[in-house]
Amino acid sequence: MKNWWKFLGIGLLLLASIAALRIPLAPALVHVSPDRIAPGTTDITITGYNTAFTSGALVKLVNEEQQVCATSVSVLDASHLTARFEVPAGMKANLTDVSVDDLIYTGALFTEGLGAGITSAVCPETYPAPASFTFPNRSILYESIRNLHFHVPMWFTMIVLMGISVFQSIKVLGNNSLDNDLAAEMAARIGLVFCVLGLITGALWARATWGAFWTNDVKLNGAAVTGLIYVAYLVLRGSVQDAHKRARLAAIYNIFAFMLLVLFLFVVPRLNAIDSLHPGNGGNSGFNDLDMDNSLRSIFYPAVLGWILVGCWMYDLRVRAARLANNLDR
Amino acid sequence: MRTLLSFFLLLSTIVANAQNAAPSWLESTLYGSGKINVVVGVVAIIILGIGIWLWRMDRRISNLERKS
Repeated sequence: MKNWWKFLGIGLLLLASIAALRIPLAPALVHVSPDRIAPGTTDITITGYNTAFTSGALVKLVNEEQQVCATSVSVLDASHLTARFEVPAGMKANLTDVSVDDLIYTGALFTEGLGAGITSAVCPETYPAPASFTFPNRSILYESIRNLHFHVPMWFTMIVLMGISVFQSIKVLGNNSLDNDLAAEMAARIGLVFCVLGLITGALWARATWGAFWTNDVKLNGAAVTGLIYVAYLVLRGSVQDAHKRARLAAIYNIFAFMLLVLFLFVVPRLNAIDSLHPGNGGNSGFNDLDMDNSLRSIFYPAVLGWILVGCWMYDLRVRAARLANNLDR
Repeated sequence: MRTLLSFFLLLSTIVANAQNAAPSWLESTLYGSGKINVVVGVVAIIILGIGIWLWRMDRRISNLERKS
């Protein structure tokens, strides 16, 4: 069974994509109104996402050491509730967190008190909800966090294909084989397909989270320049007539191109001096606990492997078609 | 020259108005429903991209069949 890896690729992709689209986001509080409260009786409306508010919900204001419990809570539906507070006059003017059961909205509102602080009320205990398999619910990202399993594997696949390309190019320098040269060209071509997909999907995601299709983020510009370097590789190939000369020249260029890829995608974005909007860049190392949740990881890695295998399958088809075309031309 | 100038003036007013207007259809689509439509768009782009690649591959193999 020599085609096992193709089945593995499609299987992983299928499972990872279904999981990426179906696993719910963790419940979170997304909106609190009003955003300023003064001492006295105040009604606060809280909107949740994927929450299951019940009439017994425990709502409180937390301002450093000061706690105020809600006097009454009226639940409109699973994601909307209104809580009434008797805000004491002595509360410190400060950003205040609002919490419903075990969910906390940090810095949800501003308390306009000029007091020196109050003695904290003792609210009833809240118990954490039973753990379930969810994706993290981050503000700004929300459901678009699922794109991690679609956009990022494009880049992993491109890097693997460019790696295959440079591997074949190094072989060309050793044995002058035109077949290895063909393989190097086709790997770069399929890699470019994934580069373009990565750029377009990234642009759409950027529009929804960073506000613009293109920003001056180092990783964006680095990825674009990398794509152009490989376009130049194909242009260079087209400009040399003699096949053996082309193979050697393209192989040497390809080695430089791959070094630049590593530089632009891995080294430059991680320089401390440059800030990047991408997680894991601008002085941070990637894939630490702050960037990636374990539930995301368990879907992300199968998705990456699945896409890499599918990319290799596309490369395999392309090389075989090109070999056939060469044989027919002869 | 004057038509060109007036065209650019018109264009600049349109752009200026666009910045003051209510959220565009794109923003309301992307930002609504917990931004799930961004994921829909991304998946659609990938399927379209792979589809275009398959279409070109199909044409390439048709050429080979014709030659052989």
